[in-house]
Amino acid sequence: MDKGQNTGGLMSSAGLVRYFDAEDSNAIQIDPKTVIATGVMIGVLIQLLTFVA
Amino acid sequence: MGWKEAAEPVLTRMPAVRRPEGHVPFKRKLAWTAGILVLYFFLTNIALLGLQGGEATDIFGEFRSVLAGEMGSLMQVGIGPIVTASIVLQLLGGANLLGLDTDDPRDQVLYQGLQKLLVIIMTALTALPMVFAGGFLPAQQSLALGGLEFGQTEIQVLMFTQIFIGGILILYMDEVVSKWGIGSGIGLFIIASVSQRLVTGFIQPSADGFFYDWYRILTGQIETGSLVSGDGLYTLLLGEGQIVALLTTLLIFSIVVYAESVRVEIPLSHARVKGARGRFPVKLIYASVLPMILVRALQANIQFMGQILNSQWAGMPAWLGNYSGEEPVSGFFYYTAPIYSPQDWMWWTGAVTQDAWMVLIRISVDLTFMVIGGAIFAIFWVETTNMGPEATARQIQNSGMQIPGFRQNVGVIEKVMERYIPQVTVIGGALVGLLAVWANMLGTVGGVTGTGLLLAVSITYKLYEEIAEEQMMEMHPMMRQMFGRE
Repeated sequence: MDKGQNTGGLMSSAGLVRYFDAEDSNAIQIDPKTVIATGVMIGVLIQLLTFVA
Repeated sequence: MGWKEAAEPVLTRMPAVRRPEGHVPFKRKLAWTAGILVLYFFLTNIALLGLQGGEATDIFGEFRSVLAGEMGSLMQVGIGPIVTASIVLQLLGGANLLGLDTDDPRDQVLYQGLQKLLVIIMTALTALPMVFAGGFLPAQQSLALGGLEFGQTEIQVLMFTQIFIGGILILYMDEVVSKWGIGSGIGLFIIASVSQRLVTGFIQPSADGFFYDWYRILTGQIETGSLVSGDGLYTLLLGEGQIVALLTTLLIFSIVVYAESVRVEIPLSHARVKGARGRFPVKLIYASVLPMILVRALQANIQFMGQILNSQWAGMPAWLGNYSGEEPVSGFFYYTAPIYSPQDWMWWTGAVTQDAWMVLIRISVDLTFMVIGGAIFAIFWVETTNMGPEATARQIQNSGMQIPGFRQNVGVIEKVMERYIPQVTVIGGALVGLLAVWANMLGTVGGVTGTGLLLAVSITYKLYEEIAEEQMMEMHPMMRQMFGRE
């Protein structure tokens, strides 16, 4: 059981986007830290460019 | 079977956030969730490079509190594209047009890929008209960066790129929370956006701030008029006093928390372990309030289209819509616009320019939309998220439980579930729709809208339950096996 993600006990409470356990080996894997780092970097970059402009 | 093979090479290669190996400790989960939340607030404060300040109008309008994000920032699109993509998937999946079996691992991969691809397409489709059509996000005339000089079109392309990247970031931030944190990123962003608005609505030191306005009423800076003539009463209740809005806000809070606990409990007993008993709750708002966001997003997209048509098509016929500023005042787009505040429908006050019958049509369209739409999307939601009779029966069977007095058989459990789940889903969906319209008609503090409030409260409640469950599992590792997780 429990194929779907976010399955809280017997009650399933998925978000709007569903993630499953199955993953393809072809898929590019991103580290969660990369997501946060990218976000911070883009934010800082655009803020800096705004100051320069 | 055709499209699956054709799309497989693309869909299976969509980049995905790595899954944690093994169990993530509760504190780490909390840290990931908090980290994403901080990042979200940080990004809502980064203004788009090249945006002409002061003249922009929010194309999402009153839907902003539900769709999260911040106008004119990197988070411009909010969760809009994700919600729109989800509508498409729900409708396709609910009507069984996709032919994907979500129990099959290969189809699961395809589903995830399709979902991601759809969100990316929707992000582009949402961002394009925002930048290039009309004056929603006016670009600066020219921009000098270092030695480079950009013209207006180049700036527009630059802004589109930023909004697009922001949209993709939201998608991956949601994935990080879903896989490494607690709850889902979308839920988190909705709570963040609604609570921010609610707190601002209470404490902002300017007009429309609840405490500030009351300070001005008490010190006589706002003319309330005589309480006996009705003018004063109006000001206190619906005008600056916002007493009705405050009461509505509090009432919605308590109704949602109460409704969360209204449930039909189906008794369960363990097939082998004598005395091990449990209950399966079918909650009144079984499908939760999330389907409601899909109905609102549908309305938002209609209004979105109206705004674009209005700005691009000078000869728009009157039956489609007449606009004064960004507000439709008559025609199709007026009738399909939801009611946001008391000022939208109380035709006996001076705030409404339309006739009473026009207002009544608009209210009934909004009500029909929300009640029927709420019920329909709740049914689709239950089907696609494996909360339907068949899926829950299988889950109960697999956990080794049975309904006392019935044979231990999936079909039998399903029969019993079928007596409750569809009915409860429809009633719950319609009730939530009714509640959302009613709250909007009376107004809410900070203009968070009824749907926003309903969503925020019920998501917070879910989050609370999830945290409690996490902590229990943390203390009793055995419980993890019972909940079927590693």
